[in-house]
Amino acid sequence: MIFLKYDRRIFQNFDWMLFALVMSICAIGIINIYSTGFSLIDNRSPLYLKQLQWIMLGLSLMLVTFLIDYRAINQAAYIIYAISIASLVFVALFGHTANGAQRWISFGFLLFQPSELMKVTIIIALARYFDDHKSNEPYLLRELFVPFLMVIVPGVLILKQPDLGTALVTIIVSASIVLFIGMNWKSILIAVASVLAMLPLAWLFLKDYQKDRLLTFLSPESDPLGTGYHIIQSMIAIGSGGFLGKGFLKGSQTQLKFLPEQQTDFVFSVFAEEWGFVGGLVLMLMFISLIIWGLKIAWHSKDLLGTILAFGITALIAWQVVINMGMVLGMIPVVGIPLPFLSYGGSAIVTLLGAIGLLMNVSVRRFILQR
Amino acid sequence: MEKQCGLRNGPEPAEFRQRLKIVLILIGLLLSMLLVRLWYLQVIKGDELKQRSENNAVRFRIIQPLRGLIMDRNGAVVVDNRPSFDVLYMPTKGINHELLLQRLKDIYKTKTLEISSDRPFPKTIKPYLPVRLEKNVSMEKVALVETNVLDLPGVYIEVTPVRLYLDGEMIAPITGYTGEVSQRELEEPEGDYLSGDITGKYGIEKVLDPHIRGSRGNELVEVNAFGKVIKNLGRIDPVSGSNIVLTIDAQLQKAAWEALAGLAGAAVAMDPRDGSILAMVSSPSFDPNLFNSGIARDEWEKLQKNPLKPLSNKAISGQYPPGSIYKLIVAAAALEEGSVNPDTKIFCNGSFELGNRSYRCWKKHGHGSVNLHRALVESCDVYFYTVGKMLGVDKIAKYAKMFGLGDLTGIELDHERKGLVPTRDWKLARMKEPWQLGETISISIGQGFNLATPLQLVQAYSSLASGGTRWRPLLVQRIELSNGSITKEYLPEKTGELKLSQQTMAVLNRALWGVVNEPGGTGAAARRPYADVCGKTGTSQVIGLPQNDKARRQKKIAAFHKDHALFVCYAPMKNPEIAIAVVAENAGGGGAVAAPIARKILNAYFDAKRKEKTDQVAVIIPPADQTGD
Repeated sequence: MIFLKYDRRIFQNFDWMLFALVMSICAIGIINIYSTGFSLIDNRSPLYLKQLQWIMLGLSLMLVTFLIDYRAINQAAYIIYAISIASLVFVALFGHTANGAQRWISFGFLLFQPSELMKVTIIIALARYFDDHKSNEPYLLRELFVPFLMVIVPGVLILKQPDLGTALVTIIVSASIVLFIGMNWKSILIAVASVLAMLPLAWLFLKDYQKDRLLTFLSPESDPLGTGYHIIQSMIAIGSGGFLGKGFLKGSQTQLKFLPEQQTDFVFSVFAEEWGFVGGLVLMLMFISLIIWGLKIAWHSKDLLGTILAFGITALIAWQVVINMGMVLGMIPVVGIPLPFLSYGGSAIVTLLGAIGLLMNVSVRRFILQR
Repeated sequence: MEKQCGLRNGPEPAEFRQRLKIVLILIGLLLSMLLVRLWYLQVIKGDELKQRSENNAVRFRIIQPLRGLIMDRNGAVVVDNRPSFDVLYMPTKGINHELLLQRLKDIYKTKTLEISSDRPFPKTIKPYLPVRLEKNVSMEKVALVETNVLDLPGVYIEVTPVRLYLDGEMIAPITGYTGEVSQRELEEPEGDYLSGDITGKYGIEKVLDPHIRGSRGNELVEVNAFGKVIKNLGRIDPVSGSNIVLTIDAQLQKAAWEALAGLAGAAVAMDPRDGSILAMVSSPSFDPNLFNSGIARDEWEKLQKNPLKPLSNKAISGQYPPGSIYKLIVAAAALEEGSVNPDTKIFCNGSFELGNRSYRCWKKHGHGSVNLHRALVESCDVYFYTVGKMLGVDKIAKYAKMFGLGDLTGIELDHERKGLVPTRDWKLARMKEPWQLGETISISIGQGFNLATPLQLVQAYSSLASGGTRWRPLLVQRIELSNGSITKEYLPEKTGELKLSQQTMAVLNRALWGVVNEPGGTGAAARRPYADVCGKTGTSQVIGLPQNDKARRQKKIAAFHKDHALFVCYAPMKNPEIAIAVVAENAGGGGAVAAPIARKILNAYFDAKRKEKTDQVAVIIPPADQTGD
């Protein structure tokens, strides 16, 4: 078929804007991780170099997801989905445990986190499903039973690891896609009502530390040693940055390691301490541009598949930005969500860059699909 | 154009565009909320939070737990904790550190005190990471620092618990000592250590460290610019470590220590009924309190270089040729293998000829005609040369192993050594040379390659005393929480059995009684008025052991040419409840030097028991010769 055929238009219409935006945010991420000054105890390369290697790996994946026509990828959607589920099951059975959670598959020299892959895979799988089951009418609840299963199975597997944050993002992004495709109003009401009814039950399934986090959020000063410590230290770090920031490598809270998880989930507080409100504003504007650009791609896509893919990937980035920053700024409870392109973490950055490749794929093929 | 590009059977693109607009507005709203929050934190509350960060108003502090106590079997505390006062300095911006240190020294000088460790400030001072200026200071210095606190911004006193070894060197080889966690321990993945933690380095402190250590607490405090705590924000209390109850009887330990005073060597007392160690001393010893706040280099070198090895627990890591102590085992082998019967007589004229070599008996003019009983009582070497030759090295080794020699006893301590029971195969593998018959002759009287630790010797004789059961030496009775509830109990554990006939055991038993109580017995010095002690003397030569590095070094020093004195015994003869091994290095003959030490320990044990006037009900061993003659 036409999938890998060379077409000049792919390069003529290459989405430079999207590529440049993502690369700039990645570059900020590298600089920021450098500043966390975090290096592993042994002689392996410092963290920012590892992150650079991960980005390189992500760019190769991006090339693949960009070059293969997204409709061809769509043919393999369920296979990719099955592989992701299988790796989640594998993790549940034989996974590598760290910090009390069993989230990783160990390949000896590197650890792979399948739940990160799942966040993107679920978008591809749902796009395939709704493309196969097009409807002019808003979907009814019973028509959504299969997508519900497709989301809830990985959701539970991830929740069991336990990784509340990733499970939440997977579900929220999927819900956003379904709402975006269109759901019957009555069905929405029923769904929301039943979710609310389930909440007390869900509380029973939360691990103690997850409950603690939620309770702490309600009053952080009540537990300044536990989770409250993260939030307080994070807010002090961000606040002390002031309008202009303390300057690169000058963040005292960061350099003294008062901040926990400063190179992963709390990476934004490092950035905000050193670059201040100005830096935070610039970064935020870059994210806003990225999101608008993603929605624009969804807008211009020539087929439903492309629209769903573009919207889903954009929603994934948007939700992670909102949840992570909300958490770091002390607005919502601490759930472990990385900040896209800025947090250290191999699996996350590789799958995200792969997703960006898919987004560029959709972006560029609207010029080709006109035939 | 939109219709033409065609979503044939799907929703209209226009509908999506409507929704995309809504999505855009929603996202815009959410992100603006984040921006407003960022503005609020950084610009509106920025100065306040900056203040907090600069003063590092919130400080996270780790509270070290109290290590568990170590007690003897009667609950007497052997190892306790005491407070230690350290002088710390929290570097603050804009203060000259050197000047401050000088001011502290000046304040000390007013009372003619000096700063104890004059090491320079670390090169990279990080503000808000405290520097420990002095450890374990006197109350006088504490008072000086506290009264001058306004002149010494950032300097403060921290109270930390340190170990107090009440019985000091008397029991140090067992309790061991503690020290600051090392770099290597910090990198252990399962260690769960933090820099500055105190951990057990040796002995029980090390072996049971996970129990003794307890778990850290922490607190979050708000401090002012002087490092003074102004508000306590939260605290998780540390959990004290578990207490260790030893099987050791501190009184008996003291008696054994005093009995061995002035000598190098070890003494171990064991209850043959269950393997409990009642006393275990190693001399000379060291003061574990010296290690508390890091031992001074010269002190450490002095301990390390002392040829008498004060840092090693000779009861478990001292390996000695057992000498005549070994004759019990050769005698057991000879009876069981049928080489001799109790009445077989062998003539001793003072020497034993093998080829062109002559092996001497310790008694120059010989013992005359002796049977096994007399041979043990008088420790006749020629008798055992003869039966040893009949048995051969491998049969002797079989019985030595049955008595537990040549293997770890499994006591709850580190650095235990195995000793050595030579066999033909061992020599071939180790030295690539075949076994020589002459070596069998040396083996028969416990010389040659033979090596055993005092603990192994007491265990071997205990298993005879218990009627044939070999118990694993128990050093710890139980581990309990500070409220007294027991978390782990150590039960007696059988590790082997003497497969000897009742008759053989009875013969050996009587012979050992004869050693101490019959005329001509070599162990007369251990005799008590009650005639209740069974034992065996041993005198082992230290020279002529070229493969033994220690012996080679000792060869150079004339005084060290003297023999090791050994004595192993148990009492009372009927239903023994205590067995003792004494080894005194380079001290002379076993009967003259070691036996009196054992008697002192026995006396201490039975005197204390009489004072207690408690009834001992336990009868474990049936009378040995019930069915015999």
